[in-house]
Order: sequence, then structure tokens, then C-alpha cells
Amino acid sequence: MISAYILITMHPGKTDKAIKEMRAISNIVKISIIAGEYDIVIRAQVKNLEELLEVTDKLQVVEGVSKTTTQIIEKEISVQ
Amino acid sequence: MNIPKKHLFYVLAITSSFIAAAVTGLDSFVGGQNAFKHDPWAFAFSIFFVGAIVTLLISLFFSIRLHSKSIGAKVLDPSFTRVRLIQKTELRNHLAAGLMNAVNTVGYCAIVSTIQDPSVILSFSQVVILYLLVMESITEKDVPTLVEVQSSVIVTFGAILASISLNGEFQLMSLAIVFIIINPTWAIFSIYQRRLKLMRIRNKPNDAINIRMWNVFFSLLFTSLILLGFDLATHGGHLLAGFQAVLNPYLFLLLAATMSITFFSYVLYIRSLGLGKASINNAIRASTIIFAIPFSILLVYLGVINQFSTDPVMLVIKIIGITLIIFGIVSFAFTVVKAYIFITIKPGKPHKEIMNQLWDIKGITHVTVTAGKYDIIVKVSTRTLLKGYERIIRKIEEIPEIEKYRWASVLRDWENI
Repeated sequence: MISAYILITMHPGKTDKAIKEMRAISNIVKISIIAGEYDIVIRAQVKNLEELLEVTDKLQVVEGVSKTTTQIIEKEISVQ
Repeated sequence: MNIPKKHLFYVLAITSSFIAAAVTGLDSFVGGQNAFKHDPWAFAFSIFFVGAIVTLLISLFFSIRLHSKSIGAKVLDPSFTRVRLIQKTELRNHLAAGLMNAVNTVGYCAIVSTIQDPSVILSFSQVVILYLLVMESITEKDVPTLVEVQSSVIVTFGAILASISLNGEFQLMSLAIVFIIINPTWAIFSIYQRRLKLMRIRNKPNDAINIRMWNVFFSLLFTSLILLGFDLATHGGHLLAGFQAVLNPYLFLLLAATMSITFFSYVLYIRSLGLGKASINNAIRASTIIFAIPFSILLVYLGVINQFSTDPVMLVIKIIGITLIIFGIVSFAFTVVKAYIFITIKPGKPHKEIMNQLWDIKGITHVTVTAGKYDIIVKVSTRTLLKGYERIIRKIEEIPEIEKYRWASVLRDWENI
């Protein structure tokens, strides 16, 4: 399994509609609206890099998305 | 079942308290048996003696591997692999937690044996939440926020009102046992169990099943020593009476049933201690009082316990108490600030070491090393932004290998979409 964060910059005023569309995309496990340099952080879980490309491709055509930056997770520690 | 991580802490603590409520009824039935009715000391010993056997058997069962994972990891705690010996680093915490659990149980038994209606006095054991708030501000250097203090006080008074009964006597000595023995020992027990859960064993988070199993073993050891000392000093025969009781197959089965259910309640409690502070865990566990009501009604119906008061004044007091508990818990659940911190590391610095340093900062729930614009992304969960600055940002700024970081507060999130 490959996990990645996709950091998204949005055009103003399109976030609500965009979130609805993003929630319909498969392999996305978490969506957070954030305040700061980016507008949305998405966590995706895919089997291979090809599937990750599919997720980013789908995200880039969502209306309102201005830019995506993908961060592939190499190692993780989290609470269990 | 896949539980969203943001709800996991509350689901674990509430499920644990629900199971605790179910076992309370069974406990009172077992305690009412002739062998234990007039000798609660023997009851304390028997419960840990049978508990040690049952807990070991359950833990061994959960060690069985199915499709590369143990049953315990699948159903109770993902960190569990198999039953193991304790590590040297854990020993001190286990000794402290075991001693506190033993003293707490003996103190509880002393109260049950001296007063007619323990709920008059034991409802004050809920004040443990406030003890924990004070202890955590010293031991974890974690000063509680105003919301934490307010919610804890609301839950504490709610729990006292909801669990008190005006039928019994009000004895100063028993009250002293609650405030001097029961509350401090439970508070210290919870703090040490949390420390154990937060430890990393063989580079993995410590698991709740082994922590519970070893706690029962150490509690049995200390209870036996306390009772032995007490028997020698008073020429009593409580330890022997306890041994004789467990030889009775009927009593053994009853004790095994109560300790099996208790096992699940404690494992979930220990897991939730790994996710949140002991004071907040205990505040949420006060919901046991609410869950205990249907079980009490069932026990009255079965004739196991006496009819409780249906005086309208008492009912109003209980409803006020329950309302306060619910408001307090809801207040805890909805006052959490979450954020991502995007971190860039200076070139040539080891990521693994920085990852561990970040993980040691309280309030950081995820540390991920990533390939891309940022080197590390951490996720933070804290009560207030002020605490986020004081407990997290200040500590991050102390790590010299970090070149720059960006804080991004989470405004809303969706999980398991």
C-alpha cells in the first residue's frame, strides 16, 4: 500500500462544491480543509503509483482546484 | 469495524465504561455470595487469583495468529503481537501500577465491608478526575486548559449526584479512605498505565493486552503481600479464606466470568489512555454511572439486589447528575484543535532521529516522512491554539535540524469517505 498527502490550492469560492466532488473519488481516505499556505489536505491510500496518478488526475479536473502538490509517505508513526 | 481515528478515543473510553457497568452488576452478585459477604478481603484476593489465570488464558488465545496477524491485533489492539515477558524499562511502571491497583482494591473492600450502602461514599471516588488534573499538571507538565477544568468539574459533580444514594450512613472514616486511599491510588494507577501505553517496545507502540495481563499478575502479588501482612498482624485468616473460595467450582466460574469481562473493559481503557490524558479518560468513564442504570434495573428484576429509591427528589437529583455528565463529555469532545505542520529539514540531517524527537512531543498524533516539497508532515491534536504554541511549536523550534515549518490549522475534516 502507498499512502500520500495531496496538498491543494483552491480558487476562492469553490471549496464546498469541490469537497462534494472529491468525496466521490475512490482511494481518498481523509479530506481536511485547512487555513494556511494550502486550502485542502487529502490523504490517499493506493495500491501503486498508477492508482495515485489516477487520484491526482481526478482531483485536477475538479472545478476550483488551482494546484496540487503530492507528498508520498515513506515512513509513519501514529497513535494506535 | 473501522472507527474514524478522530472518534476512536471516545469510542474506546465509552465502550470500556459500558463493559465496566455490565461487570459492576456481576461484581455485586459475586460479592454477595456467602464466602465473600462477610470477608471482602478474601474477595479481593480471589478476584485477582482467578483473574490472573483467566487473563493469561485470554491473552494466550489472542496470541493465536490468523492470516499473519494475531487475533488480539485484529479485534482489540493493533499493536499486540503475542504474550511476552516485560522489558526492563517497563518494570518500574508495572510495579507502581500493580501496587496502586492492589491498594485501591483493598481500600474498596474495606469500605464495602464497613458500610451498609457504599454508594453514599464511593460516589466521591469520582473526584479522582480532579486529582488527575492536578497530578498531570505536575508529572506531565501539562497545565489543564479552562475548558478541561470546567468540563472535569461538571462531570465530577454530575457523577457524584448521579451515583449517590441517601439510604445509607455517612461515615467519616470511610470518606477518609476514599479521599486518602482510593482516589490517589486510582489516579497514580491510571498515570502509570498511560506511561506504559505510551512506551515503545521493540520499536512498536506498547500493547494494552500485555499491559493488562502483567498488571493483574503484579496486583495479585501485592494483594497477597498486603493480606499476608494484615493476617499476621491481626491473626486473621483472610488469605486462606480466599484460597478456599477459589477451590469452590461455582465461585471459581463466577469469578472467572467477572474477570473475563473486566479484561475487555481494562484493555479498552488502557488503549484509550494511550490516546488521551488520564483525567479526560476518567471523565468519560464517569458515563459508567449512566450505563449502570439499566443493569441495576435488571438486577432488581432478577432479585439480585434490593429495590433502589424511586423518591421523586432522588430521581430529579440523578437526572441532573446524568445531564451534567453528558454535557461535560460533549464539551471535551468538541473542544479539540487539529493542525498539520509541514516541515523542511536541513540538508544531510537524519530523518529517523528527527522523526523520533517529534514523536516525543505531546500532542503530535502522526509523524510522516514524505518525499516531495516537505520532508516531514506532522498532525497535531490539542485543546487550544495557545497550548499548540506552548507545547508543540516551542518544542519544534528547539530541534536544530529543522530549517522551517508551516502550521496549518484544520477547519473541518472528513474521514473514511
